[in-house]
Amino acid sequence: MSKSNVPMARSGGEGGDEAELVLDPRIQESIGRSLKAHYDDIVNTPVPDKFLVLLAQLEAQEMRAKNGNLS
Amino acid sequence: MSASDFKDGLIKEIPNLRAFAASLSGSMQLADDLVQDTLLKAWGNSEKFEPGTSLRAWLFTILRNTYYSLYRKRGREVQDSEGTYAERLATHGNQESHLDLADFRKALAKLPEEQREVLIMVGATGLSYEETAEICGVAIGTIKSRVNRARTKLAELLSIGGVDDLGPDRKSTAAIQRGGSEIVGL
Repeated sequence: MSKSNVPMARSGGEGGDEAELVLDPRIQESIGRSLKAHYDDIVNTPVPDKFLVLLAQLEAQEMRAKNGNLS
Repeated sequence: MSASDFKDGLIKEIPNLRAFAASLSGSMQLADDLVQDTLLKAWGNSEKFEPGTSLRAWLFTILRNTYYSLYRKRGREVQDSEGTYAERLATHGNQESHLDLADFRKALAKLPEEQREVLIMVGATGLSYEETAEICGVAIGTIKSRVNRARTKLAELLSIGGVDDLGPDRKSTAAIQRGGSEIVGL
């Protein structure tokens, strides 16, 4: 933690070898919101059809294999 | 669990798998290849999934292992030749929120992999510290310290130097989220 001018605070508890510095909670919150925005932006993108097609094919294959075993 | 229930479970997790894969590989194209491999492996090993445990955590473990064994090198090559997805992905929302999201993604891509993956898992996917620790095969304390280092590094990269910097970000994040939900409506 050298040249950083990011506001820091001592983290409580945990004691021991690595007394870590933690970020200002407001900055943590801001980063958290950006993380969610990044992730949710992709989550909310429509799923390409190829994945549904692939799973339907795998399921159909398994059905055929099962039916084959029964007869 | 029937094959059809398992299939439905996989379908529900695809959006999360894509988002995690993109965060790991830095490329949407690689992410989709990675998701396809993950689905094939999951299907082939479905008997190893224990019903009642987190399907997301199980799938993330497969995806992560696949990434580190097969994709990591390709990811770097793609990023070198095409630039990261950060520059190409953001194609909706208003101008201001684009820039903020693109900037954030560029900063995220600069984090060491081991920090980036835990920050995403803990901060965005809804996985617990315990699940994240299990997926990565390390102790919870290690996850916590990686998350702290990742946040500090991100704050430096984004030059969030003071509370004054937080105002506009708050506003634009809301704008990004609105942009996202518009996409769902399409």
